Amino acid sequence: MKIKAVVDFALQFGVKLTFNENLLVERDGRIFLLNNQIKPLLVKGDFFYAGIFLGKIRANKFFPSFNLLSIIATQKANKIIVDQKAGWLFICGRDIFKKGIVQTYGRIQRNCHVLIFNEFGECLGFGRVLTELTQQQPQTDKNMPAVANVLDIGDFLRRERKT
Amino acid sequence: MSGKEFFVSRYEQLGWKYRPVELRQAIRFNHTINNGNQQALVLRLLSLGLTLEKISFLPQGYWVCNSKVSAGATAEYLLGLYSIQEAAAQVPVTLFSNLKGKRVLDASAAPGGKTVQLANDMDNTGSIVALDISKQRLTALSNHLERCHVRNTIVYQLDARNSPKMGLKFDRILVDAPCSGNFASDPRWFQNRTLTDVERNARVQREILMKAAECLTENGEIVYSTCSLEPEENELNIDWAIHRLNLQIAEINCPGTLGLTNVFGKQLDPSIVHCRRFWPDQTQGFFVCKLVRCPST
Repeated sequence: MKIKAVVDFALQFGVKLTFNENLLVERDGRIFLLNNQIKPLLVKGDFFYAGIFLGKIRANKFFPSFNLLSIIATQKANKIIVDQKAGWLFICGRDIFKKGIVQTYGRIQRNCHVLIFNEFGECLGFGRVLTELTQQQPQTDKNMPAVANVLDIGDFLRRERKT
Repeated sequence: MSGKEFFVSRYEQLGWKYRPVELRQAIRFNHTINNGNQQALVLRLLSLGLTLEKISFLPQGYWVCNSKVSAGATAEYLLGLYSIQEAAAQVPVTLFSNLKGKRVLDASAAPGGKTVQLANDMDNTGSIVALDISKQRLTALSNHLERCHVRNTIVYQLDARNSPKMGLKFDRILVDAPCSGNFASDPRWFQNRTLTDVERNARVQREILMKAAECLTENGEIVYSTCSLEPEENELNIDWAIHRLNLQIAEINCPGTLGLTNVFGKQLDPSIVHCRRFWPDQTQGFFVCKLVRCPST
């Protein structure tokens, strides 16, 4: 279940990830990827966090971590690069308008998931494509949301406020 | 035995004249994420209205001189390119020698500023076991690890006094001990703290040090630090440790004033001079020292 959730999530970006299942561990629905240095340190079953946090499963739904997005980002994933203003608004939880999109990579189709990058090549989160973004359809309204925000790094601030 | 007058008089006996201080905000670059290009990040933050000045005694530390934006709410912060970390609090991790590939214990880790700094200085190699007693603080620690892309750390909810129960030995141990704090970082410190608090904390710190020493490998290093100005939690504890725990103080190249070898008339071991104390000025109050095993005879 745990490995399937992670692999299936990555597939939504056109990326096929493989993991050594012996290095995946689960704790309270949260999935972690260990390495050979850390694995021997699992001396107690009740660890709180370990290695790379990949995401969590809640009510049979997978919620990815930003570490997992970074791993996917190193592969040939569906992604769009946005300008500074669109990037900042995205971090604030807003959707992306077409006018803020600098470039697209991969298969960008309606309803598919895309990673959102800033102009420095850093992953800001991911979204769901709302409209065709290919150059063949330039008539799309530039002032309409083109990618819906699903998860952005502003989440760290929201978590800080909660704790 | 409490109140501002009482504590200020103690500081004067220790050779420091009390004055109110205004702390400077400091940040630390996470070079493993930033590919080590500090200057590019300085310029990038400058373009946002965040003016930085290098802290001379810290390899990755910068003072925030001027800020039109909150340093804790930029995209660069959220991407983990830097952490907000008080300048004196950045010192302890820099005192360890050769961290890469080592097994490290961070005995009182939350909220994780020093854990991330350790991982960064280790280039995410080796392993860190990070402990804290509070689950809520561990949540903050975990968020910090995720934000800064730390990959070599395992976190347990465990009292540092129980660390030997893990059955592990460590090459490097950071004991950033829970302490009474200081007036520079807590405006109500003088109203809230008593000498009884200080003595209680000092006892806990000794227990943590004792257990940490049990987990140390033969050629291991312990860095002990507190953000307390009270000698009971600092020089007196270290004097106790070197006489009881088969440890000795290592010389360190570090700013700050020399450790006090005479505390309220009590003469301490001369090697205590190798400890460092930061009286509040641009930084908060802080104490730090490095301990290693005594050579076997």
